[in-house]
Amino acid sequence: MNFVERSLAEAAGLLTVTVGQDVRCRVDLALSHDVTAPIAIQQFEQIGVDRVFDPAKVVLVIDHIFPAATVQARTSHWIMKDFAAKYGVTLYSKSEGVCHQLISERHRLQPGQILVGADSHTCTAGGYGVIAIPVGSTELAAAMATGTIDLEVPETIEVFMTGELRPYVSGKDIVLSLMRQFGVDGLTDKAVLFTGPGIAQLPVEERMTVCNMGIEMGAMIACFGGEAKEEGVAASIPLDLTQIEPMAACPFSPANVRPVAELGDIAVTQVVVGSCTNGRLNDMEKVVNVLRSHKVHPDVNCLIIPASKQVLDAMEERGWTKILRDAGAVVANPGCGPCFGAHQGLGTERDTIVTTTNRNFPGRMGHRAAKLYLASPATAAESAVVGKITTPGTLQREVG
Amino acid sequence: MDKLQGRVWIFDDNVDTDQILPGYAMAEDASKLAAFAMAGSKVADFAKQVQAGDIIVAGKNFGCGSSREQAPVALKSAGVGMIIANSFARIFRRNSINIGLPVMLADVGAKLQNGEVVSVDLETGEIHTATGVLNGQPLSENVLATIRAGGLINRVRQELNISSGRKS
Ligand code: SF4
Repeated sequence: MNFVERSLAEAAGLLTVTVGQDVRCRVDLALSHDVTAPIAIQQFEQIGVDRVFDPAKVVLVIDHIFPAATVQARTSHWIMKDFAAKYGVTLYSKSEGVCHQLISERHRLQPGQILVGADSHTCTAGGYGVIAIPVGSTELAAAMATGTIDLEVPETIEVFMTGELRPYVSGKDIVLSLMRQFGVDGLTDKAVLFTGPGIAQLPVEERMTVCNMGIEMGAMIACFGGEAKEEGVAASIPLDLTQIEPMAACPFSPANVRPVAELGDIAVTQVVVGSCTNGRLNDMEKVVNVLRSHKVHPDVNCLIIPASKQVLDAMEERGWTKILRDAGAVVANPGCGPCFGAHQGLGTERDTIVTTTNRNFPGRMGHRAAKLYLASPATAAESAVVGKITTPGTLQREVG
Repeated sequence: MDKLQGRVWIFDDNVDTDQILPGYAMAEDASKLAAFAMAGSKVADFAKQVQAGDIIVAGKNFGCGSSREQAPVALKSAGVGMIIANSFARIFRRNSINIGLPVMLADVGAKLQNGEVVSVDLETGEIHTATGVLNGQPLSENVLATIRAGGLINRVRQELNISSGRKS
């Protein structure tokens, strides 16, 4: 058995499991947010139980549309507030952060524990070794009532990392390279397990970025294991990190990936740095390193959205928010920002947006014809200054 | 209950949730979602033409994109009896089962005609046409149990009642 199978077996109270086996696993945390929670709550009420399985293990986060951009959004907030009050579960309702970042800070699970989240990017928690299962609202409702989830043990694909990342290359470039290799359904129903000596150089924040986009390849589970090779995987795919260069996913698919250096002259009108993919302190540092000595291009809106209040606090302590604002960027409140197209920075057909988020489907951030390029914070920052999509290191080498 | 009969609607690969239920319909009340079923697809007037029990037959990666449950709810309330595809995006497949809409894996799109009537045995995976039998993947016991209960909420209700019944 590999790490994923050992974890599922333990959560199911079994000694062994095999690929394809149906198992009922214990849930260690159940998570939902202001888009998925209202339906989950409605479904939960239909079950007819008078309590959640464990109030300490149910977390609701208002992160997608806060402050409310519509009356309907505010209605969702109230449904969650009422539910939290009635069942005594934890509710974050004051822009504390994107749910995936917030639980990593305040409800951090141990490697191998089971997280069930009504959001497709629940897989982010795989960055710290958690077996994170994204579900729909009904399945979340059932998990909140029973404290269990029924799963089929997936086949596991190992990605065995070796080599050292080059300067200005980060976790986002790793996962975009994998997107290029696997496509949007290359890992459907599978678990992907990242191992190998190469993972040692990746801090947890970068590992979370890599796992975050596991769902974009269709994966059921994405998580980091140890540096040793795993037993019992369906395939082991070597990945030499030395070979990876700064990458961008071009309109309109996260798998339409090309090296930034090959993109040519593409004028940019907006840059977004944030989201559960790349809104952490290490991401912000890469932007500050650029904007400390350069101004945002006059034709670019540069939106910085910390993934949590803890990230924002740390930025303020270091004087970074002032540096960013003085350079011409806007620092918005922690949350999802414009990532899924609800508010705070939507584009029109005239916009070309470089964003550190995870999806660039048509209409994901406003108009269907707004062109979205997914890239790393370093690429986004230099592009914001130059006003064109720019390979990171171009500006920083000039100064250095 | 494990056998379904209906007319076939053939679709291609990568039918995403925006085709199944366009983003602009998301704000609609649940009771109105049926009118938007497949409105973003190549059959924009699907909701008008579909009859109760009709079967969607698609290619690879059906239901990719958003995890929102409104997409399978729209299909089910429009009358779709089940979906057959070469592969499904996982969350869509789970959402469908959880709301009591059967989904089956089978590579049969090229062997069926739009509009022909087939009957499907969920337990054996057999797809009976006028001229013969095609094979899909039988639904697992666990999935069948959820479908037979009419969805996950009903199943959980039953299970919770059963366990409290045993205790007393
Ligand atoms: S930041 Fe974007 S991808 Fe992450 S949870 Fe929010 S909307 Fe989803």
